[in-house]
Amino acid sequence: MSLSDDRIARWARQLLVPGFGEEAQERLLGARVRVVGIDAVASAALVYLVQAGVGRLWLDDPEDVSPADLAGWLFPPSAVGTSRVDAARSALAPLSAFVQVDRYPTGGVPTAALVCAPSVVQAVTSAEAARRAGIPHVVVEPDGDGGAVVSVPRGAPCYSCARSTAGAGRPPEPGVAALAALGAAELIHLMAQPGSVTGRRVELVRGVATARPTARLAGCACAGAQPAEA
Amino acid sequence: MTAPERAASRIDIRAFACPMTWVKTRIALERLAEGETLEVWLRAGEPLESVPRSAEEDGHRVLAVEPLPAEGDGAYRLLLEKRRPGDAPVLP
Amino acid sequence: MTSLSGKRVLVIGAGGLGGPALLTLAAAGVGRLVLVEDDAVETSNLNRQPLFQEADVGRRKAAAAAARLRAIFPSVEVDARDERFDAANAEALAGAADVVVDGSDNFETKFLANDAATRVRRPLVHAGVLRTTVQLLTVAPSGLGGCLRCLFEAPPPPGSVASCSQAGILGPVAGFAGALLAAEALRLLAGERGTYEGRLFTYELRSGRSRLVLVRKRPGCLACAGRQVLGSSAPAACDAPAAPAGGAA
Repeated sequence: MSLSDDRIARWARQLLVPGFGEEAQERLLGARVRVVGIDAVASAALVYLVQAGVGRLWLDDPEDVSPADLAGWLFPPSAVGTSRVDAARSALAPLSAFVQVDRYPTGGVPTAALVCAPSVVQAVTSAEAARRAGIPHVVVEPDGDGGAVVSVPRGAPCYSCARSTAGAGRPPEPGVAALAALGAAELIHLMAQPGSVTGRRVELVRGVATARPTARLAGCACAGAQPAEA
Repeated sequence: MTAPERAASRIDIRAFACPMTWVKTRIALERLAEGETLEVWLRAGEPLESVPRSAEEDGHRVLAVEPLPAEGDGAYRLLLEKRRPGDAPVLP
Repeated sequence: MTSLSGKRVLVIGAGGLGGPALLTLAAAGVGRLVLVEDDAVETSNLNRQPLFQEADVGRRKAAAAAARLRAIFPSVEVDARDERFDAANAEALAGAADVVVDGSDNFETKFLANDAATRVRRPLVHAGVLRTTVQLLTVAPSGLGGCLRCLFEAPPPPGSVASCSQAGILGPVAGFAGALLAAEALRLLAGERGTYEGRLFTYELRSGRSRLVLVRKRPGCLACAGRQVLGSSAPAACDAPAAPAGGAA
């Protein structure tokens, strides 16, 4: 399989990134990414996943757009009170005809996941589901205009080993878009160039990012045998 | 430079402008095995200046650059050898 | 938020860096955004420039960006200038802003933004991206820290940069830098000290390596002395690689 000229023209600039070529782009186009939590924090990440050519995005969020969601990049004030998934779909669709954005289908089998869940419990549950499915995933932990992203390639220490122990962070501020973009970049690297990013936690504090490798907690279940390839 | 043997593959990028010229070349190189050669037909001016330079920066070898008289004025033929594992890309 | 509604930010460029900066500033409720951008939307922009949709290809970026921003943030006033940020308008534009955000994609404009902001004594937040490395620097008029010209005396000579092999860029990498630009501008607008004041921050997204390096005023820096007049420099050869000022990679 090879990329057609219209696809090459669309992603020309990323096809020039060293190590990111035709094969990497085809992996992105073939991906099905489940995004958990479609709020202000997820918005910038969604835009970049669509623009990068992730073939299929599955949006997983039962809520309606709230006034707080307007601090993101997607929703106009008129969207308040409508379903987040529907509002995000209509905002994202005009960005790329190459990408399909849908509500997460019950039982759907994703190839990767981005977790922007509103609560610690939901983040842990969603990340654990991704780990059990054997798919790479990234968890975004907002805290004011920063926070952290935790990247979990297949086989790496799980999110529970690496998550913040301080509980939920401060409410997200608009600057959190930087964290969301970073999360999208981590996930794209994990999907397009497996092995390029190891398990790590990147903290973003007052505009300064610091990455450190994650370590498995003693006795964590993620040390067990890895599930079969999804 | 001398014009060597037949290339493993050939592309014509005369219809394209930057950055598509180098993107098409890079993808064509990606599809080759290490050490295989690629023949590129390109236009004089910006493509002729930038494509060989970009190829060398990525660690590929420029084997030949010569006019293609049969294709009219301003048409050139570039012969590239795909980077072998030992060839380091030139870092800026 | 209320104090932000009275603020005015100049954003140079509405593409890979300026776009995310504008979206983030608008989301924060900055009252007036002045954007300067003289390009048209191209297909190869759509992998990374969040303000533009497929239907915008061929449109002027200034108009398309303003339309998008107004649609999502109706309370933000957007002053879109379809012109190049150049020596003729640089000081007037910078002087009318509370903060200058440099989201441009070429060395010439980056140095001009530095020189103009320094002369009219407005804080400037600078960002550059090369492949998977981002860099940020804030130049504050009252600060002791250095400016772009304290770091790199002049733009690199034409032909030494901007080859197509250096034009590779992923959207979220530029988006990370662009949103950091805006977050820094918001700190300055709130009267806080900027993280990148006198400190060059670089982060390489694949290795995860980060650095924060002190940038001191360089004795004899012409920009800091308010004397620099930007020399001519050839425009980028390519569809504008978003390059940092000097080898950040």
